[in-house]
Amino acid sequence: MEEKVIEIKNISKVYKIENFKVNALNGINLNVTKGEYVAIMGPSGSGKSTLMNIIGCLDTPTKGTYTLDSQDISKLNDNRLAEIRNKKVGFVFQTFNLLSRYSAIDNIELPLIYSKGRLPKPRREMIMDVIISVGLKGREKHRPSQMSGGERQRVAIARALINSPSIILADEPTGNLDSRTGEEIMAIFEDLNLRGSTIFLVTHELDIARHTDRILYLRDGIITGEEKIKKPISAKDTLKNMPTLEDRISKLEENKNYEKDI
Amino acid sequence: MKRIFENLKVAFKSLNSNKLRAFLTMLGIIIGVGSVVAVISIGAGAEALITQNLQSMGTNVITISPGRAEPRGEGGPMRHLEDANTETIDEGELHLEDAIALQAKATLLNEVVPVLYGRNSTISYMSWSGQVSVTGTTQDFLTVQGYKMAEGNFITESDVSNLSNVAVIGNTVAEDYFGKINPVGEIIKINGKNFVISGLLQTIGTAGFGSDPDNSIYIPITTAQNKLYGTDTVDSIIAKLKNENQLDESTAEVKSILRIQHRIMPGENNDFSVSSPTQFLETASSVLQILSITLGGIAAISLLVGGIGIMNIMFVSVTERTREIGIRKSLGAKNRDILMQFLTESIILSLLGGLLGIGFAYLISWLVKTFSGLSPLITATPIILALSFSTAIGLIFGIFPAMRAARLNPIESLRYE
Ligand SMILES: Nc1ncnc2c1ncn2[C@@H]1O[C@H](COP(=O)(O)OP(=O)(O)O)[C@@H](O)[C@H]1O
Ligand SMILES: [Mg+2]
Repeated sequence: MEEKVIEIKNISKVYKIENFKVNALNGINLNVTKGEYVAIMGPSGSGKSTLMNIIGCLDTPTKGTYTLDSQDISKLNDNRLAEIRNKKVGFVFQTFNLLSRYSAIDNIELPLIYSKGRLPKPRREMIMDVIISVGLKGREKHRPSQMSGGERQRVAIARALINSPSIILADEPTGNLDSRTGEEIMAIFEDLNLRGSTIFLVTHELDIARHTDRILYLRDGIITGEEKIKKPISAKDTLKNMPTLEDRISKLEENKNYEKDI
Repeated sequence: MKRIFENLKVAFKSLNSNKLRAFLTMLGIIIGVGSVVAVISIGAGAEALITQNLQSMGTNVITISPGRAEPRGEGGPMRHLEDANTETIDEGELHLEDAIALQAKATLLNEVVPVLYGRNSTISYMSWSGQVSVTGTTQDFLTVQGYKMAEGNFITESDVSNLSNVAVIGNTVAEDYFGKINPVGEIIKINGKNFVISGLLQTIGTAGFGSDPDNSIYIPITTAQNKLYGTDTVDSIIAKLKNENQLDESTAEVKSILRIQHRIMPGENNDFSVSSPTQFLETASSVLQILSITLGGIAAISLLVGGIGIMNIMFVSVTERTREIGIRKSLGAKNRDILMQFLTESIILSLLGGLLGIGFAYLISWLVKTFSGLSPLITATPIILALSFSTAIGLIFGIFPAMRAARLNPIESLRYE
């Protein structure tokens, strides 16, 4: 039997605003096994973020149970939730959420600062490992304002990876990026997944969702459908066939010259 | 440990990126701490100066001055009414005879010395001339004041009875007019009259409250009264006690002798007053204390205002950094970590203000020293007090903003723009 990382049983989430209630989630059942790459899709207001927050231990469900790495999360207090976020969850956000006054290294180091106990390796080594794995070597001293969107998202991914989490949660990670850079980020996820990371992706773009093994469709707080992707898109292959901007420009110039010749 | 380091790093990063704001926030603390430390130091300096001066005068000396010292509790107009009804002269006078009577009759006094204090007079020697304070007195002045001769002799008893034109000069006068020449035996003019210098005093050093004793000339009181200033009064009479523990008894004896001497009827007020250094010290230090408390109170208010300024800026900082708080929480920061982060920042802010305040106090002390000659005593106590006080202010006024930061909901904070 495959090892379950996430096991969600009949989860509901009700928000109370003054006198009336909003049912953001209405009985969700969901399992994610180790090493799986799952996407969740759904229209705005369908409950994607609410589900992400619960899976990411930023919030607890009103009803139902949530087990992460065979540990029941549903009834934990704030401090225990913080520890689990630190150790077991790696967040990647659409807006990167980096600290602007911190260099890449300092941003990546943040989860280590809030970790209890001894680090498995010297801190510098751990940071350099993840910097290399997201392809940011040489940029580690730069601040977010000195980096492109794609580079910022790489820093965010490196930060998510630093404590070797059980699950990586990515909420629209390519939403703020151009298609080529987005594809580069998807290539990093692909690579991480091949090396064994469990990844849970929220997106509203089908092209992005098709990179994963499985797509869940969410509507009005209920999972309405599920689709296994037999042959996921490989971001690496897509990138090979995707011309860079420079290629485009040089091609256009060639055409111009050609026109002139005529 | 790494969290303490991180907190310090965050605090300094945040203060560094808002230098002007941080400085303006600290200003209240800087002024508050600076004035507390300066006030305490100036007070301590003044007290040390007074004690030093009085010790050089000797604690076994009493001073008799003409006129009534203290109206007993009544206000100004009342006093005038009373004066009109009684026949006492408000402005009493002291004469040489009073000193002679005290010397003859008092059993509890040693030397009794009449003094005609520091009249500014023109002195000249060869082609130089200038203003110097001239004090008329008798042979025992040297013993009572505890001064020492460097050269020659002090005024003698026969100088006083013969109205001799002799002068004893202080060290500064000697330096100014004679340089390296031995002044003893030289002749100087005081207000145009010739005086032979009979002696030179050793440097006295302690700055008096009136004239500088080193920049003075001492002549027989009789000469001063009759030949220079045309008066038969004396400014004060100083007397040395036989036993310094009998201050009250000695004072009482002096009063009774002078009342008879001045023919003051029972029930009438004295037309003179008796004071002692001890008394003066008590008065001076209580005045200093009141001054210190008043200024200290003002400084404390400034600290309070500074603390409120810190609280205000910290609330602003928490709001500005809501998203940062959300990010940190999503990465595993606990409420306690966020609380400590903001508390560290406010404590650093006020502690830094405290340190700058101490620098400010040093500046004030230096200014006071340069322009008044009083040297403030900066001791460890007010510095430690100021630093612990500013730490406490950072803690007290930082706790509410820090608690607000710690309690922020991570999801909402992450969404904050
Ligand atoms: N903090 C909240 N308080 C009240 N209602 C909320 C809150 N968060 C989300 N909701 C409501 O829950 C529903 C699902 O929201 P959300 O999970 O953000 O959807 P999605 O991310 O798919 O757009 C929406 O109707 C939204 O208005
Ligand atoms: Mg959403």
